[in-house]
Amino acid sequence: MKTKYRSFIYEMTVPALIILTGLSLFPFIYTIGSSFTDYYLLAKEPAKFIGLDNYIEILKDDYFRVALKNTVLFTILCVFFETVLGFLFALFVNSIKRCNKLIRTLVLVPMLLPPVTVALIWQTMLSNNNGIINQMLNAIGIGSFNWLMDVKLAFGTIVVIDIWQNTPLTFLLCYAAMQSIPQDQYEAADMEGANGLQKLFYITIPNMIAGLTMVILLRTIDTFRLFDKVNILTKGGPANSTTTITQYIYQFGTRKFQMGYASATSVIMTVIVLLLSAFYLYKNLKEMSE
Amino acid sequence: MKKKLLATMLVMAMTASMVGCGQTEEPAAAPEAAAPAAGAVEVEAPAAATDTSEHVTLTIAARGGSHVDVIEAVKANFEEKNNCTIEVLGLEAADLKQNVALDAANAEGAYDLCMIDDPVMPEFMEGGILLNLTAEGYKEDEDFIKASRAVGKNPYGTGDTYALPFNGNVQLFFYNKDALEKVGGTIPTSWEEVLELAKKGKAAGLNGYVIRGQQGNPIVSDFLPILWAYGGNVFDDQMNVIVDSPEAKAALQMYLDLLAQGANFEKNDIVASVADGSSLMALGWPSWFISGADASAAYAAIPSKANGQEHPTGMIGNWMMGVTANTTHKELAIELLKYLTSAEVQKQTVDAGCVPTRYSVSHDAEVTAKYPHLAEICDATDNSVVRPRTPKWSTIEEVWGAELSNVVSGTKTIEQGLADSKVAIEAEMAK
Amino acid sequence: MRSTKKKVWFGVKGVLLFILMLWTLFPVYWMLSLAIRENSDLKGGAGLLPHSFTLVHFGELFTKKGFGAAIQNSLTVTLIALVISLICAIPCAYIFSRARYNYMLRKPAMTWVLLTRVLPPIAFAIPLYTMMNKMNLMGTMIPIIASHVLLSIPFIIWFLISFFAGIPVDLEESAKVDGAGEFVTFYKIILPLIAPGVAAVTILSFMTSWNEYMYAVIFVQSPKRFTIPLILATMNSEQEVAQWGLIAAGGIMSLIPILIFVLFAQNYLISGLSNGAVKG
Repeated sequence: MKTKYRSFIYEMTVPALIILTGLSLFPFIYTIGSSFTDYYLLAKEPAKFIGLDNYIEILKDDYFRVALKNTVLFTILCVFFETVLGFLFALFVNSIKRCNKLIRTLVLVPMLLPPVTVALIWQTMLSNNNGIINQMLNAIGIGSFNWLMDVKLAFGTIVVIDIWQNTPLTFLLCYAAMQSIPQDQYEAADMEGANGLQKLFYITIPNMIAGLTMVILLRTIDTFRLFDKVNILTKGGPANSTTTITQYIYQFGTRKFQMGYASATSVIMTVIVLLLSAFYLYKNLKEMSE
Repeated sequence: MKKKLLATMLVMAMTASMVGCGQTEEPAAAPEAAAPAAGAVEVEAPAAATDTSEHVTLTIAARGGSHVDVIEAVKANFEEKNNCTIEVLGLEAADLKQNVALDAANAEGAYDLCMIDDPVMPEFMEGGILLNLTAEGYKEDEDFIKASRAVGKNPYGTGDTYALPFNGNVQLFFYNKDALEKVGGTIPTSWEEVLELAKKGKAAGLNGYVIRGQQGNPIVSDFLPILWAYGGNVFDDQMNVIVDSPEAKAALQMYLDLLAQGANFEKNDIVASVADGSSLMALGWPSWFISGADASAAYAAIPSKANGQEHPTGMIGNWMMGVTANTTHKELAIELLKYLTSAEVQKQTVDAGCVPTRYSVSHDAEVTAKYPHLAEICDATDNSVVRPRTPKWSTIEEVWGAELSNVVSGTKTIEQGLADSKVAIEAEMAK
Repeated sequence: MRSTKKKVWFGVKGVLLFILMLWTLFPVYWMLSLAIRENSDLKGGAGLLPHSFTLVHFGELFTKKGFGAAIQNSLTVTLIALVISLICAIPCAYIFSRARYNYMLRKPAMTWVLLTRVLPPIAFAIPLYTMMNKMNLMGTMIPIIASHVLLSIPFIIWFLISFFAGIPVDLEESAKVDGAGEFVTFYKIILPLIAPGVAAVTILSFMTSWNEYMYAVIFVQSPKRFTIPLILATMNSEQEVAQWGLIAAGGIMSLIPILIFVLFAQNYLISGLSNGAVKG
């Protein structure tokens, strides 16, 4: 059976695999290899092999631990809220009969903006020198806050901005998922006299489990890399409350030209993400091979 | 389906035309369209010693923003005289540093000139990124402000020259004139006076003093002058870390007291609030407040007295420009560097936003008539203090900035924060 | 009774819709309002409604910042990378999705594709730079296009596998019975069925490529090849006060092309994502 398709298989997969391998093989080897050395970009001597020193140093570093804690917390909070909100938005928009297309498009806009611009616009909105948000809060009697520089508020503020920017993605996936549920299931439920809530829990959600899982996985991988917003809005502060792992890589690795150190941190980061998403990845791989 | 096919064809056609336009090496519309802000520039550009019969392209890696405008305004003359094309690559500061360092590892550099922020100079000079100008025959030009000149030398102040000062900048003390009159104060010369004024400001309903407390480089730049005024510093003469000295504790206490009388703002908000009078005082860079002939706030030298003593406190922050060590057009690049930092060019580009780094230009009658503050910046630079010269300064800023932020946010006490700073900085220096 | 319940429900929905739009669009409104104000109106404490109207910031984008060339460059890079990625990835996803095509390298190849997606892009940046340098390609658009292809292919393959898997194998069986070859079956029968899925990944890939910054900044060596995110980045500077009008105008101009693209593909997008991305 296999020989019959061999040439076809190769024709179809080889371009992608060649490009992918060609572009990623060296970087993989470089990253893993240099993580065991003290490679400094501007060094005059070649890099020395130092075994696990980088890894030990990273895991002992307080700043890394703070960054790790923050990143994991960010990821869990953002993914949770983005998924739940995306789901609710999708439910809601799904139930709107008129102007549906227009509303769908408008809801997508936050996701389309460039990340730098999103950060800057939010910075000016949240400014504690009479930024527009504080102005409006003042007008209705709640005081103004130092959103980005108050150690109690900065973390939450970044979470909110990330949710604002990325809920459109989860909304899109959930909405599409809802669209694909066969109508007859709902009709059958109606005939049995089920109410809205029962339909939601017994039909909608079960049919969407696969979609929701994919959403969660996608957002987990991407949120773990959180950097742009933090770098522009808080630079990791106040008091290291918003430092993320990618920021750590930049600050202590790439910007210092300590490539070995940066690579080791990247490897650690990859391992952690793989662990966080292990369940879904395993399920995915298993399915594909059936 | 048909609609999609049509769209796909359109996309392909567009792509094909883009490829055609995008990949030619001829000058695209953009550099031409970035028309010089200044009018006709009549500067005499020197011709290179070697006769370049072939048309070369020089690339300058610059900090995006006004620096790019300045270079664009004057490059035409040099291009004509030397039969070359000058491309100015404007990047954001961190990316500029990264790209220049990456390129330095190549045998043949893609950049011929590059701009360097003054605290980064030690890192770059030690990394062999810059060309030793003195070894190439460059004679020191005493018209450059001494403190600025010193930054470009390795070792600092005494060694060979590796970069020339391109744009001047020194931290000043900014205040709102009307607000100051309202609270009945005079320009303070000591930090105790600043605190008194801040209290009056707060009583009058303003932000008495605004700190720039964002973690990292912002808070370090904002706090250092106060630390210096109290006689403290990051390192002593033997490069021991003294960031937890009694002077430092006093300075940090003053910083917290000032914050209590005001607010913690981000850079743009500092400028806006001091300019419109809702804040009374803050430290800042002239490039924030002064553009062209207008200064949006009044300024003075940073108070240098504290605890009965006096120490210089003006922090210098020049942008230097050097030739990359691996440039493929050495002589021409050196000529271009000299041209861009020449007195004539600096005088002509003051309109485009250049802050001169030469005595002659800063005190030139015509220039001071239009921009009086440039003479004062020059004088302040003469008395300025430079940030500690170590290749590890960027990381030190990060770790120290984090601890300072801890103290300002209240998550650590002054003693704890400074003690942790010392440990962190020492760990960094040991690596 | 029924009609008042409906009216109340309708009212509630209206309020919810208002809240949704407010949450989603307020910052966008704010950006737009900043872009059209004159500089004098942009000081600290700017009010909710603009007091002035001007298009000077948009003009400045094109005359002083070279935005026109940047749009061209962004379009070039994005579209070329997209086309290459689609052509390579779609067939590959098909093969991965079909059990009968199980061959020795299939599992490792799929694992490799997934792994490429998980490793942080920052780890790729410097080695890719080194590679491109060694191959003397730095003076062209090739490095940045290649890096975008590297970003897109794993994403497209991964996404489309579940789409393909949602199409029953019987279709291919009956095509075989009719005497069609493998490729013809794929091209004429299967592919049209997932055209919506293709539109979906196209939009999401376009968006990623359009806003991509990290690879763009490492690989650019001439201002002629700046893409939009690079221009936007230079407006956020430590040394000077932010020019909000310019920043906001830049954001709007960056949004317009991609918004047009999304509007166009909207219909395909929704029905596309529903066909298979959610399959259990």
